[in-house]
Amino acid sequence: MLDQDSLHAFEARCTQESPPRCRLACPFDLDCRAFLTLLEQGKIDEARKLLVRHVPLPGIMVRLCDHPCEQACLRRDLGGAIALHDLELFCMRSSQSQERSLPLPPKRLRMAILGAGLAGLTAAWDLAHKGYPVTVFHNGEPSEALLTRYPQFQHDVKDRNFLQADLAALEKRKVIFQQEASNPELLDRLSRQFDAVLLDVDSASVRAPDRRLVNAQTLLWRENIVCAGWLQRTATGHTYASPSAQAGEGRYAAQTMERLAAGLSLTAERKKTQGTLHVDVAHVAHVPRVEAERDVDGTALYAAAEASAEAARCLQCQCLQCVRQCAYMQKFKGYPRLYARQVHNNAAIVKGLHTANELVNGCALCGQCAELCPENFSMAELCLAAREDMVQRGVMPPSAHEFALEDMDSASGPECALTLPDPTLPETTSFLFFPGCQLAASRGTQVETLWIWLRKALGTSATPGVALLLSCCGMPAHWAGRRELFKQHMKKLHTIWEDLGRPCLLTACASCLAAFREGLPEVRAKSVWEIMDGLDISSLLGQATNRADMPPVFSVHDPCTARNNTAWHTAVRSLARKAGAVLEEPTLSTDATACCGYGGLVWCAQPQSAKDMLAHRAAQLPHPALASCIMCRDRLAAGGKECWHLLDILLPGMTKSGTGREPGPGLSARRANRAQLRTRLLAGTGHTKPCSLRVPPELLARLEERHILLQDLEAAVTGAEACGQWFANAENGHRLGSWKPRHVTFWVEYAPENQGYVLYDAWCHRMIVPGSGGQEAEAVIKAQQCCTDGSRGGQGGGRS
Amino acid sequence: MSMAPNYGPDAGAWMCGRCQKPLEQIRTTAFYLNSAFDVVLPRCPQCGLTLVPKSLAEGKMLEVEALLEDK
Ligand code: SF4
Ligand code: SF4
Ligand code: SF4
Ligand SMILES: [Zn+2]
Repeated sequence: MLDQDSLHAFEARCTQESPPRCRLACPFDLDCRAFLTLLEQGKIDEARKLLVRHVPLPGIMVRLCDHPCEQACLRRDLGGAIALHDLELFCMRSSQSQERSLPLPPKRLRMAILGAGLAGLTAAWDLAHKGYPVTVFHNGEPSEALLTRYPQFQHDVKDRNFLQADLAALEKRKVIFQQEASNPELLDRLSRQFDAVLLDVDSASVRAPDRRLVNAQTLLWRENIVCAGWLQRTATGHTYASPSAQAGEGRYAAQTMERLAAGLSLTAERKKTQGTLHVDVAHVAHVPRVEAERDVDGTALYAAAEASAEAARCLQCQCLQCVRQCAYMQKFKGYPRLYARQVHNNAAIVKGLHTANELVNGCALCGQCAELCPENFSMAELCLAAREDMVQRGVMPPSAHEFALEDMDSASGPECALTLPDPTLPETTSFLFFPGCQLAASRGTQVETLWIWLRKALGTSATPGVALLLSCCGMPAHWAGRRELFKQHMKKLHTIWEDLGRPCLLTACASCLAAFREGLPEVRAKSVWEIMDGLDISSLLGQATNRADMPPVFSVHDPCTARNNTAWHTAVRSLARKAGAVLEEPTLSTDATACCGYGGLVWCAQPQSAKDMLAHRAAQLPHPALASCIMCRDRLAAGGKECWHLLDILLPGMTKSGTGREPGPGLSARRANRAQLRTRLLAGTGHTKPCSLRVPPELLARLEERHILLQDLEAAVTGAEACGQWFANAENGHRLGSWKPRHVTFWVEYAPENQGYVLYDAWCHRMIVPGSGGQEAEAVIKAQQCCTDGSRGGQGGGRS
Repeated sequence: MSMAPNYGPDAGAWMCGRCQKPLEQIRTTAFYLNSAFDVVLPRCPQCGLTLVPKSLAEGKMLEVEALLEDK
């Protein structure tokens, strides 16, 4: 799946590495962004170095160039194109030539150039630079053709020096200038004597062929003769010489000559196919060009400060439209094209460190990037494929997702899962209400109430009968890249659905809905909000349609898993308004919404990254938030952002004031709440056994950060006590026991208290240490000797 | 991979609760993901009950686990 083809397909989509328009228009591929940055910083000498590296005959060219870059510049309509031409001239005039001639080993293949026009001299420059022996055949003085074609060159003495300097540089590079009178045999003679010949059609004494006889792609005319330097023709038939076009052709022709002389293909890999760089200029302010005194032919004579200011107007055109909105991508300081390479390289590593694991597991799989990218590049698709690949090859770090998968297991297991038919209509099931394991964990009583209300509201409709299913939807398995596990889970849910007579699924969680659409496309599923919006909800709202403590305005926050789910977006807004809420859309809303950090199991694999995403999103919401996903709600509130869940305003009687600021239950409590809801629904009682281990709340909060749950701690104390494996601290009577229920060994420091125990500290590790974890040393060593597969599983909270 | 070999208990006068023996620093082997490491840990000389101090679990051990997982 992560092969070269897929890499190229991914890479090709992101245009961030494509050249900006100025560079694309420049026949010499000048890195204008870098050049302008140097000028802005006042590094004129360095700017010159860059300039002469790209531009042939730099003195002549900066003087003459008709700057197609400026035509293309994105600043053009935002205050005027960057004055690249004037700035280049400024740069050449305000710096000293630093030409260190790096003598290249002379090459064997000999090049002839007939005609010392701009195309011919450019080709001579390029070829000589590469070490080819070059001879230029011309009439009169070597500079004659140039001065005739471009008389404007003559009036600036200073720039005449440029001309002399460039010609001198050519001679320094051993270019031989040879006067040659017009002669009909000349061309064929050169063709025989040299390995390749350029005919400068604008200046040679020999007649140029009809342009149509010259191959437009390679500039090859016949044998080893190429032609360059044609005049441009306007639509009205008027001809003129474009210096950039002539010199550009000269450079291109020189490349053909090299290939010709070496017997290489003239066409292979010459055209780079790259998408156009997308640049968002929607919010760019208009800034006018920096004006300066002008010389006779209109070139601005910049002072250093003016040049710097003009260069600073450059937009430094880039795309990064996705990166600018994603906290995760910003963290890795790159962009998708680069990430695609890193992810693929990571997959190719057989031995050695997988340095991009963090990249792969840090994405929230939220899909915002694909939404914002003009080319729909999806990091989610890339990272999910990489995760599935890692799981398949057995190289997924065990600690990354195991905690979430165990939570999924618990929420779908006998302790928490439950299927109940509609008690008043046990035989008919039109709908199956699937609140989702997180809503059950956080808003259990509301789930109960909503179920009762749905049964009643639909009871008299044409489609009565609402059954209930408590379980995890299986999304964690999908996000973790565990395809097989996800499939199995979906199969289980499918069976339940079949048994109930294929009802329509109603979910209150966008992730559940997305999971069903992904894993069970044949099942009809929609959001409970849609159904509710079609019913009369006044009985649900009761009297309190306008709660006293409801914020005057909400910022609506859509869950990322409801992206492109217009029905969800519409129903949520409609219901909220019916409940009296005033809504405002944040800049990035509905399909462009951002993830709260719960998506893609980042909260589990990289808790700190998830917090960064959360803070990033919270900052985009000016008012207290209204969420329609309980994880968004609980996470935003835990991060200090006031956030209400839709149910909090739809069931006004069931929440106390201050609801929007309450952080929501911790991880242990969520698990316990699910089990409690199940028990309550089954038996109508709300009691569970009080815990025999007392854990001070601050300590529990700290331990939950490391994904150590109350249930683990209770099990560890019970386990250590049952097998008598604990240490005693003679100083204070504390006990230290360990317990390894699955893959993680938990250590608990505790002491007896009244009828139970009190906890002082706890920690955990995944390494297997003989003589700990409730197993005898000898047994562990024996078991490990034959098989050290280090069973996968885990605590991930410590790594981020 | 090097793991500094000798780790004593973090603090406190720990002894085996089962055998009531003081602990000794004894060499043992820890395992993870197809790798094995020699390490000296506090252990009951009689029953072999072995202590992994918090500083080790949350320090070097976590580091090595992470490294092995990315290998
Ligand atoms: S939006 Fe992102 S992925 Fe798309 S072209 Fe721009 S930088 Fe590349
Ligand atoms: S704004 Fe700068 S980078 Fe963009 S096209 Fe113009 S010169 Fe090039
Ligand atoms: S977190 Fe979301 S926006 Fe960022 S890369 Fe992943 S899928 Fe794209
Ligand atoms: Zn002992």
